[in-house]
Order: sequence, then structure tokens, then C-alpha cells
Amino acid sequence: MLPGVTADQKLFAETAERFIRSTCPVSTVRRVAQREEELDGGYFTEIGELGWLALFVPEEHGGGSPSGQPVLDAGLIAEQRGRYLQPGPIVGSNVAALAITLGGTGEQRALLDDLAGGKALAAWALGDPVGGWGASAGVEARRGETGFVLSGTKGLVQDAHLADWFLVSAAVDGRPALFWLPDDVPGLSVEPLAGLDLTHRYAELVLRDVAVPASAVVGQIGGDDLGERLLQVATVLTVAEMVGAISELFAMTLEHARNRAAFGRVIGSFQAVKHQLADLSLAVECSHAIATGALTAVQERAPDAAELASAAKAFVGDAAIDVSQGCLQLHGGIGYTWEHDLHLYLRRLATDRVVFGDPAWHRERICRLHGL
Amino acid sequence: MSGQTADGQATDSAAADSAAADSMATDSAAADSAAVNSAATDGRPADRRPADGGPARDLDAYRREVRAWLAANLEPRNDDAPVRLRGGDAANLSPERVAQQRELQRRVYEGGYAGITWPAEFGGQGLTPAHEEVFAQESRGYVVADLGIAGLTTTRVCGPTILAHGTDEFRRTHIPRMLSGEEIWVQLFSEPGAGSDLAGVSTRATRTDAGDWVINGSKVWTSGAYYADYGLCLARTDPTVPKHRGLTWFGVPLTGEGVTIRPIREINGSSEFCEEFFDDVVVSDADRIGAVGDGWTVARTMMVFERLGGDPDETPRHSGARELAPDLVALARRVGRQGDPVTRQLIARAHVIDLVKEQLDAYVATLTESGAANPNLGSYSKLAAGTLNPVRAAIGLEIAATAGVAWHPQDTEASTTALNYLNGRILSIAGGTNEMQRNGISERILGLPREPAHDLDRPFNELRHN
Repeated sequence: MLPGVTADQKLFAETAERFIRSTCPVSTVRRVAQREEELDGGYFTEIGELGWLALFVPEEHGGGSPSGQPVLDAGLIAEQRGRYLQPGPIVGSNVAALAITLGGTGEQRALLDDLAGGKALAAWALGDPVGGWGASAGVEARRGETGFVLSGTKGLVQDAHLADWFLVSAAVDGRPALFWLPDDVPGLSVEPLAGLDLTHRYAELVLRDVAVPASAVVGQIGGDDLGERLLQVATVLTVAEMVGAISELFAMTLEHARNRAAFGRVIGSFQAVKHQLADLSLAVECSHAIATGALTAVQERAPDAAELASAAKAFVGDAAIDVSQGCLQLHGGIGYTWEHDLHLYLRRLATDRVVFGDPAWHRERICRLHGL
Repeated sequence: MSGQTADGQATDSAAADSAAADSMATDSAAADSAAVNSAATDGRPADRRPADGGPARDLDAYRREVRAWLAANLEPRNDDAPVRLRGGDAANLSPERVAQQRELQRRVYEGGYAGITWPAEFGGQGLTPAHEEVFAQESRGYVVADLGIAGLTTTRVCGPTILAHGTDEFRRTHIPRMLSGEEIWVQLFSEPGAGSDLAGVSTRATRTDAGDWVINGSKVWTSGAYYADYGLCLARTDPTVPKHRGLTWFGVPLTGEGVTIRPIREINGSSEFCEEFFDDVVVSDADRIGAVGDGWTVARTMMVFERLGGDPDETPRHSGARELAPDLVALARRVGRQGDPVTRQLIARAHVIDLVKEQLDAYVATLTESGAANPNLGSYSKLAAGTLNPVRAAIGLEIAATAGVAWHPQDTEASTTALNYLNGRILSIAGGTNEMQRNGISERILGLPREPAHDLDRPFNELRHN
């Protein structure tokens, strides 16, 4: 994905791909999706050993990244995860580790070792159930005698069923705050949702008067910078997963067009098909380009990082639909069958398009970033 | 890549781009890297540095010399040059203005600052691109000649092509005049019957018993021909062989007997382009450029220069900071809709288009510079502009609503939206249509089979053509 990858980064990405192909290829993902198999904890400790979850964690807690550029390194892993539709709350766990690293208390930081090693997983509950992704959508935290009491509902929490911890965005006196909650805190329940994506599962997180101590706060109440940073990272990593999935879906379709014959020729020799493929490949290349620009800007904390991250999500979100539908069209009937992997990609992409903000939400955010 | 415009800079990537130029053409032809390389050598005498002093000392001295000459000979410029919009009569150059600009160019030529990287034996200065850059930097604050689109075609496309393929005699006659502003040249390339299918031109050049050539036919989409002196004309000299093999180039005087030039009125009301009719126009064999029947080789050299020389009107301008679609925000404020959620979505969509094109160009450039990339990747940038610019133009119209279709006669700002809409598909068509880019991408990047061709091996006169 990144034109300037170092040898270390290349090795990191190649190792990731080899691991996925041998341990959790799409055929396995499919069996898990069909509930014929469950992911065992071994998958997550193995990816912990590979370093996928340690990228944003300081060295003293077992963390580190191959190039010292954690956003770019995480982007490389995300691309491979997207290509092979990997399960699990990996974006959430990475973002949670970043939140604790940047703003966690001593007690919270003690968990970083487990997060880095894949022994504990986390999800970020940011959005509300109706598509708002603002810093404190859907949950309010009232000040109690010794801490806070949280009430409300979060929507579209990715793989909440696998999370041991939740990073919950909530409003305190109308100001954004982040809370770090264990999955067994009284009053918190994970309510599974049925959904389009078969490779991730989504849930609502319902909080009924969940009492937490003041030490559950991550960072400062009203400290917008941390939440903004986390949103940018979550956005670009989701985009990178989408770009991986889009690329693989397109490659699959190109291969089909090269091999499938009709009227005595391969269908990829018909101009009507070639031109569609050219347009789809333009969407793929544009997606790569804007994702690369956004990952780099977020890594460098460039002044335009926020707008590039949002522009990437807006563009790739739209491109995901165009490419998915175009690839289904070019596959013809075979692409409409359950046995074909195409729909696994189509379902995942349509869902990732919404996670951490759909294109319309990010476009409005771009206007606000510019003061319009 | 597309940002390189100076002739001297064109050559570094010329070899890599020859394949990209091919992707714009309909048909394959034998690779002509030899022609492109010879263009590179002749067009950029980078090694012909003055013998005295190292390059750095030479450049500093040169800069002082340029400064002094500019201060003594040219008028300082008061404001930034206005951005030229396509459309309206203002874009057209009057004969008086052309005469003034030729005079200004002559002053630069006589001062020794025209064709800085061009060979000295043909009237250039034989210096390096670094010298040219010094002159460009220093002259920014002065009024220099602007011979319009045909002036750019002369120095960026026709001149380098003639340097690459013209005879010594031809080069000695015409190149100095091109540099001095005395001769303005245009390309006589497309025809009413041959656009994307460039090798399908049917303008005929027939040899006379005396050894001259008689040209009959018509050309179209010639930028600025109404004030040009010569055209580089692609003509069919042998219709009995397959179409790529029967073509030859000629330098044709446009002011002579038998040539009729008519402006084409474009949908935006301006007449930047012309059509030309040739009725028994006689040129001598000395005006031939390249070998008889070898016109396609020359054409491909020319397409490389054309791509590199690009029309600066079509290059997006960046002022540094990336503003939020400034034209559309201004428009939304004019019509009081900056708070309307639909309008805000449209503005952000346009901004995302701007960002994506910019990121794609950077991405393609990075990959291309790495050397390992497919040389045809530039087609992605072209197709992105060709497919996204129309979307952006339509967004302007949508935001403007009634203000985009009717305005008070004095309100030039309001009419800009309509003009942008009319010009929105320029890059979808000019310089290789979207369809040609899609052919190029699918065949040369994605590796899909070529279209069955009905015209490659049959004589041109047996083909169906317009």
C-alpha cells in the first residue's frame, strides 16, 4: 500500500499475510461466520505474538512497532486483515491501547501488557445507535459521590462479544470524556445485533446506571485532543482494512474476467467489461492513494490529518459500494450464490463504510473542520 | 509528471512516457524509443555547458547577468497574472496584441534568453535546465511575451519535434524564428474524420513530377491557428498500405495560397480552436519532417512532448494551503446556502474530489519515480480528471440553482459557474478520451486482451473511414 515501505515493514506485512493464510484463511472466516467453528483465544494470542496489538504500546509494556511509525505499521496489518476479512476487535484494541498509552492512569497502564499480547481485547464504543459519531454520542455520565454513573446506549460496537474491556465515550456536563470499563461491570450489557456483515459481529452496548470510580476516566474530561486523535486513528485503520478488502475483491473479479468464457472469448476481452474493470480499478487506485495520504498525515500529525482521514473515509466509503456492486455485476450469477466469497466482501465493506462514520458524516465533519 | 512543462525537463521521463503516449493512441505501432531518445539528445544539450567555471559559479554569474538584463529591458509586472478561464471573447488574441507579443519575444531572443536549453547552432543558448530555471525565477516579476496557446505549442511541442526529426536545413531555417516570435507553429493533427483514431487521418499529400507535394484535406481542433504562421501537418502519402505506414509530416505555411482557416465556435462561446482547409496547397520536399511513410514515429514523439507540455489552463492551481473548495464556498455564500445540509454535502464532495485527484497524482508520481511501476499509470490520473471533473462541474450548477443558469448581465462572477459547467468535460475528451484511457488501463495495466482490430493489416484505402 505505501510506496515507501521499509524492509522491516515489508517483512512485517508478509509475515502477517503468511500467518493469516495458514491460520485463518477466508475458508475459516466463513466457517466462523456460519457458526460452524468459533475462534479460539489462540488466534488472538498468536497475533499478539506477531505484534499486531503492540504497535501503540510503549516498550516497557511489551510494545513497539517495526518502523517506529505505528500508524503506518498498523495500516499495513489492517490492509492484510481486510484482504482476508479477518475477525476480531483489532481496530478497537489498537485504539484502546493508544488511549491508555496517551491518557491512562497507572492502574490502566498496567493492562497494556495484556493488550499488547492479545491476552485482553478491547472495543471502542463511540457511536450512538442511530449513526451519530460525535465525541459523546448516546451516553451520559453523571457525577456521583465517588465517581460517575453512566447511562445510555452505544451502537455498532465491533466484536463486542470478544472484548474484555470497553473504551466508552460519554458526555460529562455536556463535555466529552472517555471511560475504561471491564465487560463485567454491573449494569453494562452487550446486546448482539443481527447484521449484514458475517465476518465481524456487532452489538449495542447498553449502560443502565453503571457506577464507576473517578479513576475509570481516561485522559481529561473535556480533553478533545485525545478523542480526536483516537477518531483519526480508528478512521484510517478502518479505511486501510477497506482498501485491503476492495483490492482483493477487485483482483478476484479481474481473475474471473480473464477466465470466464462466453461467445467463444473470455469475457474480459469485451470492451463493455474491460471499461467497467478500468473504472473499478481507478476506484481501487484512488482508494489506495487517499488512504496512503491519510495514514501518512495521521502518522505525522500533519495539520491536514483530520481532513485527510475524513476525506479518505468519505471517498473509500463510496468507492466500497461502487466496487462491490460492480464486482458482483461482473461475476454474474455465480456472485449471487452463498458459496462464493464475493458476498462476504460485499457485506463487510458495506458495514465498514458506516463504522466510525459514514461518508455523509465525514463530509459534514470536513465542512466543520474548515469552519463552514 | 504532468507538472513538467519546460522543454528541457521533458526528456528525463520521455522514454518512460513513450509507452504512456502510446496508450493515448488507438493502435499499437513499433516502439519508437529510438526516436524519443534522439529527441532527448537533440532537445536538451545539457552537456554543452560553458567551459569556464563550475556549474554553481556559472549559475550565480548567470543570475546576476539575467537580473541586470531584465531590469534594463523589460517592464516590471504589477500584479499576478490573472487565471485564464476558457470562454468568452476575452480569450481570443487580437492581431495587435499578437504583434506586441511577438515584439516582446524578439527582445528576449535578441537578449540571448530564448531557447535557453536549445542547441546553439539552431538559435538556442545551449545551456542547462538549471539556467532556464534561473531565468524563469528571475523573470517572474517582469512582463514577458504571452503568445497564447499556439505560442506554447510552438516551443513545447512543435519545436522539440522538429529538433528531433527535422533536417539541419529545416532546423536552421525555422527554429531561430520560432524562438524569436517570428514564427508561431501549431499542430495539424486531428481531422473531422479522425479524432481518437489519429492514424486514420485522410488528408492527402501527393507527390508532383517536380518532386513537390500537393496537400488536400482538412484539420480540426487546432489551438490558436487563427494567428499562427505554420502548421506541422500529418498527411497520408500512401493510402495503399496499412494506415500507420502511409503517413508523413510536413511544415505547411498557413498564410499561403489554398489555406482557409475558420474559427470553431465552442460551446462556451469562445474560439480558441480552428479548423483548416487545404486546397491544392503546394509545399516542397524540403518541408518534409521525417522520412516518407514514417509519420507515425514522428507522431509518437510529438505525443510525448504534447503530454509533457500540457495546457497550463488545465493544470489545477494550488496556492499552498488547501482551502475548502473555495469557488463553491463562495458560491454557496452568494446564494445564502452555506448552512444548508445538502449544499454542505456537495461542497465536501467536491473537496474530496480535489483531494483524491491530488493524492492520486502524488501516488502515481511516487510509483513512477520508483522505476518499477507500470509506465502507463499516468492514465489513471487522466481518467480521474476525465471522470471527476464533470462531477465537480455539475456540483457547482447544483449549488448555484437558479443563479447558475440566469444572472444579471454585468455579473461575471455568477456566469463562471455556467462556464465551468460548459468546460467540465474538456479533460474527458481532449488529449485522449475517457474511453481511450479505459482501453489503455484495461489492456496495458490490467493485462486484458486487446480489441480485435480490423484495420492494422489492411491497406488504408480498403478500410471504412469517414
